[in-house]
Amino acid sequence: MKRGQRFKSGLVSSLNPSGYNLERWSYTVHRITGVILVGYLMAHIFETFQLTGGALAWANTMSTLHSLGPMEMVGLWLVAGSALYHGGNGIRLILNEVFGLFMGKPILPVYPYSPTSLGKSQKFAVWIITAFVLALWVWAGLYLLAGLGVI
Amino acid sequence: MDKIVLRITRSGGKRVSYEVKYRKGMTVLDALTEVREKQDSSLGYRHSCRMGICGSCGMTIEGLPMLACQTQVSSLNKEVISIEPLHNLALVRDLVVDILPFFDLHRSVRPYLIRNDVGERDHSDREYRVLAEEVSKFLQFDYCIMCALCYAACPTVALDPFYTGPQAVAQAYRYMADPRDEGWEKRIDLLDTSHGVWRCHMAGACSFVCPKDVDPAKAVQLARMEVLKKRVLRKRGREGARLVSPPMVGAAKEGVKPPPFDFGGAKE
Repeated sequence: MKRGQRFKSGLVSSLNPSGYNLERWSYTVHRITGVILVGYLMAHIFETFQLTGGALAWANTMSTLHSLGPMEMVGLWLVAGSALYHGGNGIRLILNEVFGLFMGKPILPVYPYSPTSLGKSQKFAVWIITAFVLALWVWAGLYLLAGLGVI
Repeated sequence: MDKIVLRITRSGGKRVSYEVKYRKGMTVLDALTEVREKQDSSLGYRHSCRMGICGSCGMTIEGLPMLACQTQVSSLNKEVISIEPLHNLALVRDLVVDILPFFDLHRSVRPYLIRNDVGERDHSDREYRVLAEEVSKFLQFDYCIMCALCYAACPTVALDPFYTGPQAVAQAYRYMADPRDEGWEKRIDLLDTSHGVWRCHMAGACSFVCPKDVDPAKAVQLARMEVLKKRVLRKRGREGARLVSPPMVGAAKEGVKPPPFDFGGAKE
């Protein structure tokens, strides 16, 4: 570490929620799922672009994808989970940021301090979304397994 | 616990361990002072008031930004304590970071009362009328001691060094909510930028580490709502609170003698 350099700054530090609050963990998951969705979007555009090469090119792309076997379904399951979490948590963030919900009003701080923006309503919102997303993600997994004929 | 070990990240990234005898009520700052006085006088760290008011002794203790003077060694419940400089700030030496860029961001949001009539503000024998319920809207954000813990904890600052930061946005909102201030629109223009309020993604780490419960995360969201009020609802800036004569000025003009000051029992 050299003099004048910002100490422990950057992507790794930004994504490390260790020791922090629940919302900070939520932030990290939101970011990671966002990157997964962008990656999927790129791949999806590339995949559909193959249609311009004609029916044979499309058939080749599909056969390549299907040759991945169960990995294709695992990938889709990850994308489904990412979309669910990113969307669900995104709704919470919109309620936070645009309407000020779960933030509380300005108060007179009294020791021991407990910030209202990280209070019970905020935690409740995070856990509700997490539970809802997990339930839907499990359902999506079962749906994909049924598509494979496993169950 | 008889002894503790301070594992300090010093200049150059080298981790150096110091063994210190533990005593009841010892803070991390006490332990650092003991190291500097008895073991290694070259250890660099910043401190001043030792009572959580000046905000000088911010450092990363066990991975979280904290004030060393307010952190009891016993509360960490560890015999080996890791100490690093504050993250997201440039290193000067050992645990000392360059706080000037942080202060520059604070200054950038014009953290003072803006009045259209500056002469009236600076040379008046009267005072601005503010109601108690109006004070309650900004008083919480007024307790900021500028320790930079929120800035060090913010994951957005880690990625965007040009982000205004939670402390500065909170101070901007503190003045936007002040009925005496007439700079509402000017501050919105300062905050409504690509490195302004929209960079916050509500991780809440700033509020989590704030030693004074200023709750910067809340202030940032409130500031964001003010920006939306102007940009979406087309709200215009308000006229600031009017000057009123304090009671004693009026009484003096009328020749009424003010009552003697109560010194709490002490004789004049």
